[in-house]
Amino acid sequence: MDVFSLSLWGLRILFVVLIYAFFFFVARALWRDLRAGVAGAGRPLARLFVIEAKEGRPEPGTSIPLDAVNSLGRDVNNSIVLDDSFVSADHALLTFRGRAWYVEDRGSTNGTWLNGQKVGALLPLGYGDEVQIGQVRLRLERERGNE
Amino acid sequence: MIAMRRALFSVGIRPHLRWRELGLLTIVALTLVVGWASLQSFRSGQLEMGEASLLFTYLLAIFVIHTAFVITGRRMDEILFPTAAMLAGISLLLMERLPQDLVTQQILGRELGLADVQLAWTLLGFTVLAATAILVRSDGWLRRYKYTWAALGIGLLLLVFVFGEVTGGARLTLVIGPISGQPSELLKVILVVFLAGYLAENRSLLSSASTRVGPFRLPPLPYLLPMLALWGLALAIVIVQRDLGAALLYFLVFLGLLYVATRRASYVVLGLLLFLAGSAVLYLAFPHVQDRVDIWLNPFTDPQGAGYQVIRALYAYGRGGVLGTGLGAGLPQVGSVPSIPAIHTDFIFAALAEEMGMLGALGVLGLYVLIAQRGFRIAATAADDFRALLATGLTLVIVVQAAIIAGGNLRVVPLTGITLPFVSYGGSSLLVNGAVIGLLLALSDRGVEPPPPDQRTSMSSRIGRRARRAGGRLEEALS
Repeated sequence: MDVFSLSLWGLRILFVVLIYAFFFFVARALWRDLRAGVAGAGRPLARLFVIEAKEGRPEPGTSIPLDAVNSLGRDVNNSIVLDDSFVSADHALLTFRGRAWYVEDRGSTNGTWLNGQKVGALLPLGYGDEVQIGQVRLRLERERGNE
Repeated sequence: MIAMRRALFSVGIRPHLRWRELGLLTIVALTLVVGWASLQSFRSGQLEMGEASLLFTYLLAIFVIHTAFVITGRRMDEILFPTAAMLAGISLLLMERLPQDLVTQQILGRELGLADVQLAWTLLGFTVLAATAILVRSDGWLRRYKYTWAALGIGLLLLVFVFGEVTGGARLTLVIGPISGQPSELLKVILVVFLAGYLAENRSLLSSASTRVGPFRLPPLPYLLPMLALWGLALAIVIVQRDLGAALLYFLVFLGLLYVATRRASYVVLGLLLFLAGSAVLYLAFPHVQDRVDIWLNPFTDPQGAGYQVIRALYAYGRGGVLGTGLGAGLPQVGSVPSIPAIHTDFIFAALAEEMGMLGALGVLGLYVLIAQRGFRIAATAADDFRALLATGLTLVIVVQAAIIAGGNLRVVPLTGITLPFVSYGGSSLLVNGAVIGLLLALSDRGVEPPPPDQRTSMSSRIGRRARRAGGRLEEALS
């Protein structure tokens, strides 16, 4: 077999191989999308670390997983129950909208405080920021593994 | 760079890079260049690209379309377009390889051969694809006028019934002055638009009720009537137009949409029973249907006559084997006569399987599977019923058509003369399939305007409101 027919054969095979390479890259792209979807589902978006709670509930030192929408208050129907005598029944709302977290007060008696500042309207908060509700101090923390 | 971005932003255009599409298009370009080199080297007996302006015109065109998508900032599916570009590119390689005098056209004093004409149609088809994908920003014009679309479709069909010219035993082609086209290609899209609108509207209303005929429970009338109408339409197409492929395609696409809309397998079974009954009657009553089935079952009873085409195709698969003979090395002609009649249209799959082998042919079929995956995904994530059904229908049109003709070529089902989407030679087919992919892309764009809420109020609520108002006035007068 001379060089020419060998290289022609190579070209032929390469042609078919490249068509399958196309599939490989599509499959890889789809697989990545799928993995990102699976990894994203079922994992909390972030955590709330309990720095201090005068009455011990929730327990200081623990961290609470967060969904996209979290209601905080003393009432048991809240997604995060803060059992503290200075916390209103429906106290505050912590939401993840698009790319940022927001905190808002739900007309509580003693107010919600973000880094020592009283929360009036909707306020954005970043990771590491401290939220005080009644006698409970909480810190927003990044979920490990989320970027 | 930043200044350019600002300038674009100020006129309301936000460019959005599409790396995935760019990467896949690069692989497409590489594949086609290698294929072209393999073809030209075989022809000339030395390693060379030969005269490759045809190939590079095509590659330039697909990258220009990619750039247009990027600049207009459309966030559409990034896999569909490279897939279509791969199919159309393989088609160009095959057309370049086949005898050029299968199709000739005089344009501006130049004689264009098969590959040139196919390139022209492909470019036009892709222009339609890009224009549809970029410009369609709302689907209201499709969903609101569904009965107008249906009327248009029926009108088109009647035109073909009356004025159509017979090509290859089927009354398909409509000639208006210098322009000729095959309206059945356009009709399939119109049919999908109508069915999507109709099924989306009636879906929630009457999904539970059913018609009783004696001991049988039949689907509710809103499903039963279009099923019977389409069945009748398909029969009419077979009888008058002798176009078995189109009839089969329309009916299968309808059953697919019906299943997606209702999730009732029983309707599909009923539809298939209707199909079997219709086929049996047609088989007994019409010789041209009988011929098709006989050729399918026993091609070797008349090897030089009716079975010639199918037998030649079978030989071609045998010559091709697993790896294929290589582009250019197959045996598409004996003397100056193509060994398989209609090799550039109906039997393009045989040409492809001979020269690219079983692996290449499976690869091409895989490309259609990709289109199906993307299309059904677009349907699954669609904003509402109409869009979901539209995306499903458009996908089915391409995929079912590919399955019918590839199956026919492989003697899995009786042969019917329709095109292999994007690969067969043919202007109408390329234009319409371009529009189909363009619409799918537009539907995959989250930015496409959501449908306006239905403003029209129903008759009963209007009467109710009038009655209340009248009652109110009466009460005022009395008090």
